[in-house]
Amino acid sequence: MVVNRPSIIIYCRDADEDLLREVCAGIEEEGVLFQVQSHEGDLDTLAFDAANESMLGSGIGIRGVRLAMQMQRLPKGKNVFELNAPSFRQCRNLGANSARAIKKMPFKPIYEE
Amino acid sequence: MKLIAGVDIGNSTTEVCIGAAGEDGTFRFLSSASRMTTGTKGTLPNVLGIKSALEEALDKIRQPLSALDLVRLNEAAPVIGDTAMETITETIITESSMIGHNPSTPAGAGDAVGELLFLENLWKGKPGIPYIVVVSNRFSYEEASARLNQHIPELDIRGLILQADEAVLVENRLGKKVPIVDEVRHISKIPEGKTAAIEVALPGTSIRMLSNPYGIATLLGLNAEETKAVTPIAKSLVGKRSAVVIRTPHGNIRENVLPAGEIFFHGQQEVKVNIDAGADRIMDSLASAGEIRDIDGQENTNVGNMLRRIKTSMADVAKEHENDSEIRITDILAVDTLAPVEISGSLAGETCMEKAVGIAAMVKTQQLPMQKIAQRLEQELHVKAVVAGVEAVMASLGAMTTPGTKLPLAILDMGGGSTDAAILQADGTVRTTHQAGAGELVSMLIQTELGLHSRVTAEQIKKYPMGKVESLFHMRLENGSMQFFEDSIDPRYYGHVVLLAPGEMLKVEEDIPMEKILEVRRDAKRKVFVRNALRALSIVAPDHDLRKIPNVVLVGGSAEDFEIPEMLMEALSDYRIVCGRGNIRGVEGPRNAVATGLLLSYLGK
Repeated sequence: MVVNRPSIIIYCRDADEDLLREVCAGIEEEGVLFQVQSHEGDLDTLAFDAANESMLGSGIGIRGVRLAMQMQRLPKGKNVFELNAPSFRQCRNLGANSARAIKKMPFKPIYEE
Repeated sequence: MKLIAGVDIGNSTTEVCIGAAGEDGTFRFLSSASRMTTGTKGTLPNVLGIKSALEEALDKIRQPLSALDLVRLNEAAPVIGDTAMETITETIITESSMIGHNPSTPAGAGDAVGELLFLENLWKGKPGIPYIVVVSNRFSYEEASARLNQHIPELDIRGLILQADEAVLVENRLGKKVPIVDEVRHISKIPEGKTAAIEVALPGTSIRMLSNPYGIATLLGLNAEETKAVTPIAKSLVGKRSAVVIRTPHGNIRENVLPAGEIFFHGQQEVKVNIDAGADRIMDSLASAGEIRDIDGQENTNVGNMLRRIKTSMADVAKEHENDSEIRITDILAVDTLAPVEISGSLAGETCMEKAVGIAAMVKTQQLPMQKIAQRLEQELHVKAVVAGVEAVMASLGAMTTPGTKLPLAILDMGGGSTDAAILQADGTVRTTHQAGAGELVSMLIQTELGLHSRVTAEQIKKYPMGKVESLFHMRLENGSMQFFEDSIDPRYYGHVVLLAPGEMLKVEEDIPMEKILEVRRDAKRKVFVRNALRALSIVAPDHDLRKIPNVVLVGGSAEDFEIPEMLMEALSDYRIVCGRGNIRGVEGPRNAVATGLLLSYLGK
């Protein structure tokens, strides 16, 4: 029997290792579990599928240096946040926000600073 | 047919109303508008606001300014309101000795005591001494945890203080479970080598040891004298999720009770009261002084300075008067409040709730130079402008147009700067009074009690109901009901408290729970308006008996508020008074009473 742990799903395709590590750190600091898997498709598909696969309803797609955060029941392509070649701090906050989406806490700033 | 405009200049808004009078004595109301008052009420800069309000109103009926035949200005009540706030206690902690804040994710739980040691000096540590290690954000969580793990076998590390938001990350990589406080901004101010106590609360609770003077004494081994000295620290740490208290033998921590001073009421009786006594006692003293000639405060005290500041800011207006340079405060409204004040010498921007008193003062001048405004208006518009009618009488006349009213009729005009009451008897006599304290004092109270950065946010909190965005598709409103959305809400609002302004949502930047905002908002309104309404109405009531007033019509900007009229209705129903928000001419709501009254009084002639 397969038991899915309640976790945030991160779908990657040729993901930049450093950015991925920062995203994971952001989630970990918020105390939420996550799973990293490789997946096929464009960025929108990665994020959309990740959110739908996640029991918690929150997912992240990473393709190269592009990242997107998505939440369940939002239409495909309408990503909550989307980043291209971001700074480490932005990645950290993106990860934190995917956890905060579940905890129903205000998001950390992603674009400003 | 003649086009006539009524113009009412208030402390914060200028309202106009336009009507057409036929040769046969018929009269029709055509249009109205309101604008921000430009400059202090009763001064020449007002003309600008009047002009733009007139233009807007005329625009609605597609007429140029030149089509006007007559402008009637109100004889504005010669009262101007101002507000001020002064804290009467302050906590001073020299030689930074505490950290107490609410990082969103501290790690570990419990308390620990040890000597402070920076991570870069870890190699200097000696075995057998308990340490609290301080980590600046130059070290990543991986580096920090690696270094710590390396030293854990030999060194007795009891707790960690981090600058970055990485407590959980470090904890997960550490070979030993210790309490970790993170997000400490000014970490370089931490004195190395001193003894510190650190505490992280269990999830869902707040700290227990460091918010208790005896707890601090237990952890840091203080004697009775020293324990007394740390009481302000314990007080300011109440309710925090994590805290650090550093023992600085020469540090000086004290709660200063500022020389708050006395207020002197010069009235029929000379009465003085210490501001420490609280708002209720101050207001009782004010009442016992009878009719007030002037109010001032003790020299070189906070309240003295505060009242002098109010008088100085009023001096501008006084200069407009020819032979009157004396500014006298004739009424005040004092309200108790708490203000979060940043503790000097804090390490993470901690604040302490200090006792404060908010005061709205009202300055009575001889007479506002309305005639000058009328002259200027005549020059600029080439339209005849006259000063006609006393404000309170005009407001009563306007309020009479509310359906369902009869004489004798009391009005309560709640504006920005003052709360005015008037009673219009069946025989045409009018009694009026002006009280300090109205909408602006409420905004100030909201701003200070919630520690908001901008007055604009406070104004918005006062004006609009709120809700909390709980998901991207729904929010919970302040009354507990839910509102759902077809399209997803902008993620910027997610998890935030938002104000529901017409047509848009405004985010409250500060992270304050909705319940707290609600409580502060309602409290501020009640403290100011309910008290003032009872005060004002009992002055104008026949024989000062509230029960002899049959009906009260609420007018003015603050009567438009979504909850103040209900609060007053509740309070006044005890006296069997019919009270409600006015509806001028059956269409305007509580606005435009004075401007409407000005046109009606023209007809009366």
